Amino acid sequence: MKPAKILLPLFLSLLLMLPAWGVIFAGEAQQQLSSESVIETIKKRGKLMVGMSTFVPWAMRNKQGELIGFEIDVAKKVAEDMGVEIEFVPTQWSGIIPALIAGKFDVIIGGMSVTPQRNLTINFTAPYAHSGMGIAASKKLAGDYAWPEGFNRSDVIFVCRRGVTPCTDEVAKRWPKAKIRQFDDDTMAFQEVVNGNAHATLSSHPKPVSWTYRYPDALYMPTTENLSRGDEAFGIRKGDPDAMNFFSNWIMVNTSNGWLEKRHHYWFKTMDWADQVDQK
Amino acid sequence: MPQSRRRNRWTWLDLVLLMGMLGFLSFIAYRVNTVLIYQWDWAFLPGYLFRWEEETGRLLPNLLIKGLLTTLRLAVWSIVLAAVIGFLMGMMRTSKRLFPRAFSRLYVELIRNVPPIVFIFVFYFFISSQIIPWLGLDTLDQHLNPTSRALVEWLFGPASLLSNTFSGIFCLALFEGAYMTEIVRSGIQSIPRGQSEAGMSLGLSRWQQMRYVILPQALQRVIPPLASQFIILIKDSSIVSLISIQELTFLSLEVANSTQRVFEVWVFVAGLYFILCYSCALIFQRLERRLNSSARTLT
Repeated sequence: MKPAKILLPLFLSLLLMLPAWGVIFAGEAQQQLSSESVIETIKKRGKLMVGMSTFVPWAMRNKQGELIGFEIDVAKKVAEDMGVEIEFVPTQWSGIIPALIAGKFDVIIGGMSVTPQRNLTINFTAPYAHSGMGIAASKKLAGDYAWPEGFNRSDVIFVCRRGVTPCTDEVAKRWPKAKIRQFDDDTMAFQEVVNGNAHATLSSHPKPVSWTYRYPDALYMPTTENLSRGDEAFGIRKGDPDAMNFFSNWIMVNTSNGWLEKRHHYWFKTMDWADQVDQK
Repeated sequence: MPQSRRRNRWTWLDLVLLMGMLGFLSFIAYRVNTVLIYQWDWAFLPGYLFRWEEETGRLLPNLLIKGLLTTLRLAVWSIVLAAVIGFLMGMMRTSKRLFPRAFSRLYVELIRNVPPIVFIFVFYFFISSQIIPWLGLDTLDQHLNPTSRALVEWLFGPASLLSNTFSGIFCLALFEGAYMTEIVRSGIQSIPRGQSEAGMSLGLSRWQQMRYVILPQALQRVIPPLASQFIILIKDSSIVSLISIQELTFLSLEVANSTQRVFEVWVFVAGLYFILCYSCALIFQRLERRLNSSARTLT
């Protein structure tokens, strides 16, 4: 056998293992990240890097193109209390956990609710907010449905934002026969219900209220009660007790002194901020 | 070969077809409002293109224009990088030696046979997380002095987003480079063997044959498919919004979600992409004509 004939498969198989090398190196990088607490990294860098995703009114862009919202206030205060600058890393919601693990930012402050499944991959601090989830339904398709048992039919379609487990879990629990379709953004999910292509959507307040207010002919709220209570917390990489302790205690202190409650009230219970983003 | 100019004369059939198409399109546009319950409102858009800064009294680019600029930079740099990769790998594909041939073949097949989204995710999380710190791009913005910062920012956009932009550039260039490799290879292989044999008989080395005989002819042949690949690259740059590169698609989604005016933003951004791609097509059309006419004067 000519050497070339052996070399080629050997070479090809070695190169095919490239992705595996990538994984190994990525694993090493992850270990390096956790060998030192992220708190030290932040202080050394002089900058807190926060992963977040646009989600009204947690985080959104005002008319100047700057980020505003409840969690933006929270993250800014964290950085201020640490004495460092802040940098927001806007990230697609579906890729936000891998991005944290890959070290693209230090912490997720993104209105992420704690779920056991997510907790297997990343760590959560104490909760800094409790969102209530509401429902908005299509008047045309589901206007005469009895609440809540009328929605448990196989031809009923619920829409959720992709990766929002409180939505999908809640639908599966309450209306096991209904179908679920997922969109990348909340806005698309609501639009689908407004257009009469889906029966209802579940989303954290105040969105169901504000959309129903905007499209009174197309949407209604079968109930004004909260369907579930979410516990939103900061997400950090595993194996970092210092960061866990710092962020959890920051949340505890600012819960006790009422600061979190006050900001939460401003963003979720009032619409005083609406003219900053040109929303109607 | 002289081409006779086709005359553009309208016949009644053209007129009927055009009217029919216009009628169909306006019917669709009219029907949109019956299936889509939506309050159109375009008034907010100009504000997200440019913003007025009170303190300095200047007009500054806002999110959508910033995104457009990032997409432009992303496109220009990845086109340059992808063309370099394409030509290198394309020449390696036609090499007589085994190693370059096997290497470039592997590159092309690995990338061409994997869905773009999967490739982008794998590349971003496994590979670019290592390349970027290795090249020192993640901390570059701290080492820049004011003049070099201004230059870097003009070339690559905001310094704080450098590593983000570069991930996007590498990702797109590697991805599109595979297709360009194949285009360049087909161009090189379409040149008759007699050409390189003639070069050899003149005593040219293999590299000289490539440089003076093969490539000039191949280049002219691959311009049309390369141009369409460049346009595809510009459009594909929207895929990197999935790994949160702050380009036009990503920022327009941010605006759409913040203002909850999805359709206005999408329609407008589609228009922006069209203008971008169409002007690219026009530039290449001109280049092609220039190359053709200069080739004719030579022969």
